[in-house]
Amino acid sequence: MMRMCLTGLAFGMGVLTIFASPPLYRTFCQATSYDGTVTRRERVEEKIARHDSNQTVTSREIVVQFNADISDGMPWKFLPTQREVRVKPGESALAFYTVENQSSTPITGVSTYNVTPMKVLTTEEYSILYNRIYFNKIQCFCFEEQRLLPGEKIDMPVFFYIDPEIEDDPKMNGINNIILSYTFFKDKVSEE
Amino acid sequence: MSSGGAFGGNRGLRPVPPEKGVFPLDHMHLCDLDKKEYLNCLKTAGNKSEICRGFSKKYLQCRMEKNLMAKQDLAELGFKEGNAESAVGKTTERIGDQEQ
Repeated sequence: MMRMCLTGLAFGMGVLTIFASPPLYRTFCQATSYDGTVTRRERVEEKIARHDSNQTVTSREIVVQFNADISDGMPWKFLPTQREVRVKPGESALAFYTVENQSSTPITGVSTYNVTPMKVLTTEEYSILYNRIYFNKIQCFCFEEQRLLPGEKIDMPVFFYIDPEIEDDPKMNGINNIILSYTFFKDKVSEE
Repeated sequence: MSSGGAFGGNRGLRPVPPEKGVFPLDHMHLCDLDKKEYLNCLKTAGNKSEICRGFSKKYLQCRMEKNLMAKQDLAELGFKEGNAESAVGKTTERIGDQEQ
């Protein structure tokens, strides 16, 4: 298991977090509106179109690093496929994780994710309040059951986007590193 | 399954789902070649996403062709036609490998 000392990193790197849990998430998976509120959150395509027409220029290079964990007893090898991706806000970007079922039986896993820094809680409350999420996951492998046959090895993509408005927010000053963490749990419901 | 404790507690934070949901797994490794080209590009490009956008686009196009991703115009997701221009319209680098 790769474990990074997030507490140590949090203030050293000045970094952001969003927590999630699978049961809560499944409800959201079907929902199209954020948090059930009336105000609709701007979709990534809308952000991209808006910044494109505004000819938004971004300059901050953000290093996105990746962490992969498995829960105890989960016989999967789970690693980020690349060490990091350097991206500017406004560029949609792709990253991969590699998963291998090292057991002799099919196993279904479900993953959750964190994004750090956690400068963060304040930032998260702020972003909830102002309906702004800077690290947007466009599509990923998380939160749904993923079934791997014995010995199967697969690469799982994450497609994400960092909102250019991160550069305008004084609270996000000095945030140049984002850590994306996923943890795979064995799915007890569909255990085989 | 509760992971609230493991991740430091919910603290009133709500999970944010990926906008377009989940990527189906590529069990048949149909897009492995495009994936490898992208990853190799990252290695030679100092992990700079901007330089390898053409390969990202090819990978996503492969997924769409193989019904592993809902089809949509990739320009809407930040991939312009032509060179590897980033979605925010700033000056880009010409990349020799951007054969679309």
